[in-house]
Amino acid sequence: MIAEATIVDCAGRAIREINRAIRAGLDAGRPVRVAGPGARHNIGVALLREGTVTVDGSAGYYCGGMNDGATIEIKGSAGWGVAEGMLSGLVTVEGNAGNAAAASIRGGTVVVRGDCASRAGIAMKGGLLLIGGDAGYMTGFMMQRGAVVICGDAGDALADSMYEGVVFVGGSVASLGNDAVIMELDAADERMLAEAFERHHVPRPKELRKIVAGRKLWNFERTEMATWREAL
Amino acid sequence: MCGIAGYFHKTEGDAPIGAVLLSMLNALARRGPDSAGAALYGHGEPRGEICWIKLDELADHGRSEATVLERLAPGARALSHARHGALLRIVLQRDEPVRDLCARVERDGCEVISLGRSLELVKEVGAPDNLTAVLDLSTFRGTHGIGHTRLSTESKVDLSHSQPFWARGIPDLATVHNGHITNYDRLRRVYEGRGYRFFTHNDSEVIAVYLAHLISHGRTFEEALRSSLDDFDGSFTYLAATASEFGYARDPFAFKPLITVETEHAVAIANEEIAIRSALGDAGVAHEPSGHIYRVWRRAPVRVQVPA
Repeated sequence: MIAEATIVDCAGRAIREINRAIRAGLDAGRPVRVAGPGARHNIGVALLREGTVTVDGSAGYYCGGMNDGATIEIKGSAGWGVAEGMLSGLVTVEGNAGNAAAASIRGGTVVVRGDCASRAGIAMKGGLLLIGGDAGYMTGFMMQRGAVVICGDAGDALADSMYEGVVFVGGSVASLGNDAVIMELDAADERMLAEAFERHHVPRPKELRKIVAGRKLWNFERTEMATWREAL
Repeated sequence: MCGIAGYFHKTEGDAPIGAVLLSMLNALARRGPDSAGAALYGHGEPRGEICWIKLDELADHGRSEATVLERLAPGARALSHARHGALLRIVLQRDEPVRDLCARVERDGCEVISLGRSLELVKEVGAPDNLTAVLDLSTFRGTHGIGHTRLSTESKVDLSHSQPFWARGIPDLATVHNGHITNYDRLRRVYEGRGYRFFTHNDSEVIAVYLAHLISHGRTFEEALRSSLDDFDGSFTYLAATASEFGYARDPFAFKPLITVETEHAVAIANEEIAIRSALGDAGVAHEPSGHIYRVWRRAPVRVQVPA
């Protein structure tokens, strides 16, 4: 039997009060619906347990930030830094996401069905960011681990200065970032991608390219001065 | 931080622009508690242009008002005028270039803050609600508007330094900016060398001067926005509008937030979607464009009814 949802109405309530009510709902083992979010900032930040939170509209900045275990569905768009610093769980955005979606996540999955603005997946340390639409400037900048999948087109400086991690792109790439190199997909990539597309109901693009760090920026080389100048 | 907001009514007729913009600015009030302002495009005055003047704040406002009205002649004459604090609204007829009128009036701490057929430009220190003492925003109807809430970072907090800025010399052209133009000093020297006068030390003022310069040299509104992407350095997301156009431009790094929602009837733009939702409810899908981008919307100019 599915437990009855706790409705958290945002109207007239401070964000701390809203987040306390969300946590209380999850603690009681119930799914939570956040009504009238009105693109308020910091909705569902630091939820540290499993459970489902549905945001009935758009969320402002940092929705689902520091999430550890919860499944958060945003029915509208999300502002800057959605799911920033997430450890585990799932954050789904039905609309578009602002700058720095999934910034610094260590684990879990962020699904954006629409487009991401600039710097999506910046400094990711793990986890998966799956973008159904296009991604803006400097997606994957300084990634350290994890994967970004862009079904549509990517903007300039894609995968700039990555340490490790991987970016997959289905559409066009305006330009690659410093030290970003294109590689062939292997069987493990194909398995991971097939599983992700199926699980999150995102249509697979016809072709995908794989981009990784060329590792030229790992250690300083005088002979690579031109690249270093550009990167710094 | 600063908050910027814009609303553009796409279809025939008008919309409650004043109430919409005030609601958006209130939602952005914490982004800019120092001052607030709005440039609203309404139905104008049937017989003349609308001119908003900031009077000498240090002098007696009544005396400053009288001096300004005297200085309108010989190139312009007032059909009506009303004063709200340090702001004076004049409906005037003019048979001289705008710069000649400005040169005569802009002395002794007075400053023309807007002039146009449909533009009403008001600003006040403090919260957005302070604007309602100057202009009744709750009943103001028009086609579009842009507004600003200011958090001063590098220049002083007063009426002059508040936004929007009128593109001095170009009727009906106004702009609001969030960010920091880092090549401001160089651009200011260039434009001062060309005879442009700056009234503040606010770097955002240079955007208005830049647009005025390009448009007075035959460039279109759209061309001016496009070339600004390469001519300005630093962080900038700005909105600009004329009597019939409305647009945004954004720096290559997309440093400052910019959210747009477009529906069949309207375009709403703000730094934060919360401002758009306070004005539009749940309509439309919010989208944040990437960097190095501009966009312009146009409508047929509002026809001014001239009585027979």
